[in-house]
Amino acid sequence: MQSPLYADLVLFLEIGIALGLLVGAWLARKRKFREHAWCQSVAVLLNLVLVAVVMVPTFREQVSPKIPAKLGKSYVGLPAAHGALGGIVEVIALYILLAAGTKLLPERLRIRRYKLWMRTVLVAWWLVLLLGAATYVRWYVPLPVRH
Amino acid sequence: MIRTCLCITVLTFSLFNALALLAAGSRYFGPTTQQGQEQTVEVKIDNFSFSPATLTVAAGTTVTWINRDDIPHTVVSSDDSRVFKSKALDTDDRFSFTFTRAGTYSYFCSIHPKMTGKVVVQ
Repeated sequence: MQSPLYADLVLFLEIGIALGLLVGAWLARKRKFREHAWCQSVAVLLNLVLVAVVMVPTFREQVSPKIPAKLGKSYVGLPAAHGALGGIVEVIALYILLAAGTKLLPERLRIRRYKLWMRTVLVAWWLVLLLGAATYVRWYVPLPVRH
Repeated sequence: MIRTCLCITVLTFSLFNALALLAAGSRYFGPTTQQGQEQTVEVKIDNFSFSPATLTVAAGTTVTWINRDDIPHTVVSSDDSRVFKSKALDTDDRFSFTFTRAGTYSYFCSIHPKMTGKVVVQ
C-alpha cells in the first residue's frame, strides 16, 4: 500500500460514518427517534469536517487541474464522480438535518416524506462511499501484476 | 622472420579491432552525451516505484524522471529546503534536475510518501 496516513485515516473514518448511519437507521426502526437524530447528525457533520479539511484541498490540488482534459482517465473520473455525487448527498443530508431537527426553515421548505428522503440519502451515501473506496484503490494500491 | 612479421601484423590487426570495438561499445553503452557536455541519466517511475531506487552519478549530471505509471506521481527532495520539487507528473511526463554538488539526495513522491529514492552525487 502506498497511501499517506491521512488517506488511510479518512477511509477508516468514512467507513465508520457509513456504518454509523446504518445504526442510526436501525434506531429509527426501533422508534428511538432522539438517538436516531443524534446519530445521523454526528455522522453528517463529521463527514462535513472531513470533506472541508481533507477532501476538498486534496481534490483541488491533485484532481481538479486535470478536469476536463483527463476526465476519461479512471484516476480523475472516479474522484470527480465521488466528489460530485458526494457533494450533492452531503447538501441533501444537511437539508434533512435542518428540516427534521430544527425549526430554522420556513414551513414551505420543510420535508413531508421524511422516510423516502432519508432512505434515498442512505443508499446514495453508501454509493458515494464505494466510489471513495474505488478512488482510494486507484490512487494508492499498486497492481499485483504488470506487463 | 616471416613468422615474426606475420605475428606482429596479426597482433596489430587484433589490437586495432579491439580498440574499434571498444569505441563502438562506448558509443552504444556509455554516457548518452559527448565528453565535455553534461550527462543525462533517467529514472523510471512505474508501478509505484522509482527505478533505479538508488542512483550514483557524477557532479553536473542531469537526472530525468519519467513517469511510466498510469497514475500521477511527484518527485520531491526530502531535505527541509526542498532542493528540487516537481509538479504532479502524469503518464509520460518528465522532470529533470541537474545535480551540481556532491552529496546524497533522498527524495520521495508527495502523493505516495512510501515511494522513495536516492541520488548519490560524487
